[in-house]
Amino acid sequence: MPLYVYILRRLALMIPLLIGITLVSFLIANAIPGDPVAANLGQRAMSDPEIVEAFRREWGLDKPVVIQYITYLNNLLHGNLGRSIKSRRPVMDDLKSFLPATFELSTFAIVIGMVLGVAFGISSAVWRNTVLDFVVRLISILGVSTPVFWLALILLFIFYSRLHWLPGPGRLDVTVMPPPTFTGLYTLDSLLAGQWGTFLNALKHLILPGFVLASYTTGLIARVTRSSMLEVLGQEYVRTARSKGLHERVVIMRHALANALIPVVTVIGLSYGNLLSGAVLTETIFAWPGIGRYAFRASVSLDFPAIMGVSLLISLIFVATNLVVDVLYHLLDPRLRTG
Amino acid sequence: MRNYVRFTIMLILLAGLIVPMSGMAAQEERVLVVGHAESTDSLDPARAFTPTSSMIHQAVYDTLVTFPPDSVDRIVPELAESWEVSDDGLTYTFYLRQDVVFSTGNPMTADDVVFSFMRAKNITGNPSFLAETIESVEAIDDYTVAIHLSEPDPALLAKLIFGVFSVMDADEVIAHGGVDNEDAAEEDAAEDWLNQNSVGTGPYILESWDPQVETVLVRNPNYWGDPPYFDRIIIRNIPEAATQKISLEAGEIDIALDITADQVPALEENEAIEVFQGTSPAIIFLLCNQDEEIGGPMSNPLVQLAIRYAIDYDGILELAGGAAVQPASVIPVGFFGAFDTDQAFDRDLDRARELLAEAGYPDGFEVDLQYPEFTVRGIDLSTLAQKVQADLAEVGITVNLAPGEILTELENYRNGREGFGLWWWEPDYQDPVDYVEFLPGRTVGLRVNWTDENADPEILELRDRALVEMDDEARLEIFADIQEYLQQNGPWAPLVQPGVQFAYQAGLQGVVFNTQWIIDFALLSY
Repeated sequence: MPLYVYILRRLALMIPLLIGITLVSFLIANAIPGDPVAANLGQRAMSDPEIVEAFRREWGLDKPVVIQYITYLNNLLHGNLGRSIKSRRPVMDDLKSFLPATFELSTFAIVIGMVLGVAFGISSAVWRNTVLDFVVRLISILGVSTPVFWLALILLFIFYSRLHWLPGPGRLDVTVMPPPTFTGLYTLDSLLAGQWGTFLNALKHLILPGFVLASYTTGLIARVTRSSMLEVLGQEYVRTARSKGLHERVVIMRHALANALIPVVTVIGLSYGNLLSGAVLTETIFAWPGIGRYAFRASVSLDFPAIMGVSLLISLIFVATNLVVDVLYHLLDPRLRTG
Repeated sequence: MRNYVRFTIMLILLAGLIVPMSGMAAQEERVLVVGHAESTDSLDPARAFTPTSSMIHQAVYDTLVTFPPDSVDRIVPELAESWEVSDDGLTYTFYLRQDVVFSTGNPMTADDVVFSFMRAKNITGNPSFLAETIESVEAIDDYTVAIHLSEPDPALLAKLIFGVFSVMDADEVIAHGGVDNEDAAEEDAAEDWLNQNSVGTGPYILESWDPQVETVLVRNPNYWGDPPYFDRIIIRNIPEAATQKISLEAGEIDIALDITADQVPALEENEAIEVFQGTSPAIIFLLCNQDEEIGGPMSNPLVQLAIRYAIDYDGILELAGGAAVQPASVIPVGFFGAFDTDQAFDRDLDRARELLAEAGYPDGFEVDLQYPEFTVRGIDLSTLAQKVQADLAEVGITVNLAPGEILTELENYRNGREGFGLWWWEPDYQDPVDYVEFLPGRTVGLRVNWTDENADPEILELRDRALVEMDDEARLEIFADIQEYLQQNGPWAPLVQPGVQFAYQAGLQGVVFNTQWIIDFALLSY
């Protein structure tokens, strides 16, 4: 099957999948015991029937669930995700303002995780059972098991509060104005606007939360790369390549790595999807206005429109990353191309 | 080519303009950076109902009357120079200052008050319940306003201090879609604009609000009072207390508004930082259901009194840390008419055991304690519940902890299904009348099935008088009687009133906590 047919087919499958997701999240959101009125109105406002009625009318909660769902789907088809009860703004506006922050941070983190993780994994496999291997394995175990909350505070304390090497919470210093909005990614927008100072500031602000987020991913990728590489290095074709007299670097980078990377790509794809769906703890500690905190706030206040918007967005992210991973598989593994 | 030359010359001229301007700004502008866990739901006074909104409204709007900076037990003039109340308590007449202009430059008159109040009432938003007793608002002349009530409301002045009664420039709000008629709930369209702009008479103007990122205020050049020290206030959203502390230590923020009691000792050791400790108006209490089918032994008045005697209040204060205090009743210490901490209950285990024996439980009993898994102003309710469990074990009562997810448990509490519960109450407005809700037949009283039918006539009579009495002397007496009654009777055991802590760069002056608006930025200076 040609690649583009495969991609088109996968895209078509997304439609029923997303409709299913709206239905399931709508049912779950409505089934939990808890009333959005209680979650959003003050104690006294709640005992005023006029205010409660106005609240239900304003948010469409006075209609049967089926009607609410159909209205939601209808609005969705028109690109309208409704208005958030908590933020009182259109959910689309909220997502537009919170997603870029998460996207920028996750991308930064996945790049760190990918580069470090793959490098660690390869060197650890190639120099197996050496001091290097031991150190790398220790780092990956620590990366996977260190609580994010603790790591974030320790790094902030050392590099921000004590050494003043890196900036603290937020996406920019207080004194730095955000760049004009094109993409919502401060690094990209400041470059587009030619604001070097803002670019550097935004980049520096990414470092600490980026490394905190990447710590887990790095550990995970390093471990997967190492074991996958070890497996491949023991295969006969690698021995053949070596016996042909090829340089060891060529053997590892050209022959072994290409095959060892297949499971690694899956892990990277899933990790990226995870990062993009928001990291509540990291976002909270670094005062990062991202999608994770938004989702958290939406769920504790039973903010149905926001919960639905975030669920849809996260599903889209996972579907998209999975698709990219599968396409990469096709490119990496010739057997799948003919199949 | 000529275009190119002209462009270059313009660039040079522009650069010449901009560089000295930015230099000047850097020299002269005084900026205050605040670290705060933002709770803003809206900045439209008619719709907002969160602590952060109240804080911003205090800076950008004024109200007819207000509180002194550091207390809420006295009412002082603000936009109204004076006022009088009709004998039947149904009409309040306010005489406005004549020298006040809005940040827009327009003079503030009675029409603006009428529009702002009627809009607040008719939008039927979250804070509109505060306007419940207001029948109509009338401009008698340019600087005289009359508020007509549907029933006497001794708490009216205290309610008028709430941000929902901010006086706004009516013309500007109308120009941006504002509506004050009875259909305002549907027709008013000014919220989005009011989230980014302010049209008040306060010392500051709202420059921008970027939700979950920051709120920026700039000085109001048309302010009628003494100009504030800071030209610009940047309120950065820093949700985590630990991060606020680190940012303060790094010198990036001037003041951290949400630090916790356990961070205070470490901060006090730092010479560059000062700590303010005050008392919050929240009351955390135990409740006992008056319905025997739900409350079991907890519905017995003797058991309820025994519980109040059995609690180790000093131990709870230690657990709470900071400037937490033990309230003497459900009315927070610091409110008009509230008993002070020295009138609070003392632990007496022998008396508690006697009372239990008298009630028919010499060997105690077993009971579930229901509470939400939640942290109230730095106090983890689960920890507090364990303390209650340990304290009551000493008098033979076996407490089983039954925590619940907050929204689920809230339903149980609000529907009166908890036999023995641990909850808290934050005031809706700063007047003891708000605490009449704890009495029989009222909002909180009904949550423990304390009704007109099963309550003493004595407390019912006090309740009815408290709701209408206008005279301060008489009010003091009534609330003293209510508090005395609740110490000896009734389903409540108030445990603790948590503290409030701010930490700030040494040298910052004017830091005080106010229950109504958290902090007044206009009072701060270096």
